[in-house]
Amino acid sequence: MTRRDLVAGLLGTNVAAGVQAKRGKVIDAHNHLNFHNRPGWAEDDRKLIEAADKLGIDQLCCSILPPERPTTLEGFRLSNRWLAEAMGRFRGRVLGYCFVNPGYGQEAVDEVRRYVEEHGFIGVKLYNDFRVTDPKVAPIIELAARLRVPILHHAGHASWLPSPQPNISDAGDIARAASAHPETTFICAHICGGGDWEWSIKALRDARGVYFDTSGSVADEGTVELAVRTLGAERVLFACDLSMTASVGRVRGAEISEGDRRKVMGENMQRILARRGA
Amino acid sequence: MIDVNAYLGHFAFRQLRHNTAAGLLRLMDRKGIERAVVSSAAAITYRNAQPGNEEVAAEVRGHRDRLIPFAVLNPAYADWRHDFRVCSEEFGVRGLRLYPHWHGYSLTGEACLELVRAAAARRMPVSVPFRVEDRRQQSRLVDVADVSQEEAIAVARAVPEAQFIFGNGSGFVSSALGKRDSGLAANYSIEISLLTALIANEIGQLIQNLGEDRILFGSGMPFHYPDGALLKLEVLEASAGVKAKIAEGNARRLLGL
Repeated sequence: MTRRDLVAGLLGTNVAAGVQAKRGKVIDAHNHLNFHNRPGWAEDDRKLIEAADKLGIDQLCCSILPPERPTTLEGFRLSNRWLAEAMGRFRGRVLGYCFVNPGYGQEAVDEVRRYVEEHGFIGVKLYNDFRVTDPKVAPIIELAARLRVPILHHAGHASWLPSPQPNISDAGDIARAASAHPETTFICAHICGGGDWEWSIKALRDARGVYFDTSGSVADEGTVELAVRTLGAERVLFACDLSMTASVGRVRGAEISEGDRRKVMGENMQRILARRGA
Repeated sequence: MIDVNAYLGHFAFRQLRHNTAAGLLRLMDRKGIERAVVSSAAAITYRNAQPGNEEVAAEVRGHRDRLIPFAVLNPAYADWRHDFRVCSEEFGVRGLRLYPHWHGYSLTGEACLELVRAAAARRMPVSVPFRVEDRRQQSRLVDVADVSQEEAIAVARAVPEAQFIFGNGSGFVSSALGKRDSGLAANYSIEISLLTALIANEIGQLIQNLGEDRILFGSGMPFHYPDGALLKLEVLEASAGVKAKIAEGNARRLLGL
């Protein structure tokens, strides 16, 4: 199967048979390249791009996460430097999120400003160093609004299982942060990688400034349909977070209109990127 | 194409769609899946699993050319030998489906080994899904760990004459189950629904280590979108012959079709 056939299936059109369809750009809103702490990082980065090629993904919005927690200043500085280099290696394919630990205050703020303004990064990635509602995060949230870039925030809501991540945010936290900072665009990470996805989708119903990305390893049927029905197709973003076939498969299989599928697959993210002119 | 990992009926903790015989067949038609091994989703949480098997037997009536029933049996529950006989002789099930952690028994406990040996005597494969749901999303009412690779290895060793299908799992290449020359008998196959076909490419590694005859297509539908599993086969770096075995040939042989 060629990439064109695959994309045809993905978008529900028949390019292979000669029916020329208008295919929008396919943008993965949440993925990762590798921290350079092991010998195979370059090969694994290359494999990710090859996977994107096979699956018809035009661009991947990536961050690099250092392995240690809490994240150190040196850790996120290395991550962002290496990501800027990777954007040069995979020019036009990899777009960058600047990853920081908001606990570093002005140094974190300066890092975000520098990588967005000088290196063309398209957003901010926050993980679990602090809950999104923690006052330490507010300066980053406010800066993202001024720079007109989104914050992709790690999230999860386990039904009962004690989280090994004590400061993990859930969709409800992100909804509260969005309410407090209505000028900032948030992307709540991985519908399918963070526990009770029905709870998470419902928690975002009224959080108009929050998008939800579809990434994750959980293959549950109905996730994309519920997200589109509850949030509107305009607030759902295709993403993989390294779960490549499961993530493409769920949007391919979702029983939604072709217009909504195009929004999810790339149009919505293009609109977010256009705010900064990326 | 034969899907060895599909369900009919309701699940206690989440709404399923396409979960009647008619609904599943419509989904299979849209996806190009010719036949599917089906078992009861309701029996996972029924105290007495047998009514779940009765429901599936009723659903597949008239569709046996496409829907292949497996029985969910609980060897820790009273009267399971009767249920096994009814499922085998009256319902004509082709295999068993076991949920040791949901039903509260050990795969290598005395009763379970007796059941597995009885299945082997009737040439019925025994399917063991490692998980039903991702544990992070389980209801507050349950706390069910995944079946471990070690448990699967132990039961495969204990009943070498049985044929097992291990599915809804991943990380096989990190245990003896997925390693070459592990010393284990070739009495198990691995289903692909939660395996990777890109980047780490666990399916490719398993083909290398175990051979192409022991990998089976399965999707977990309608719990799962079947499209992810179909996509794995599409993008897998393997010959058309190998893909045909995974998609159908291996299941056909295992199920005696």
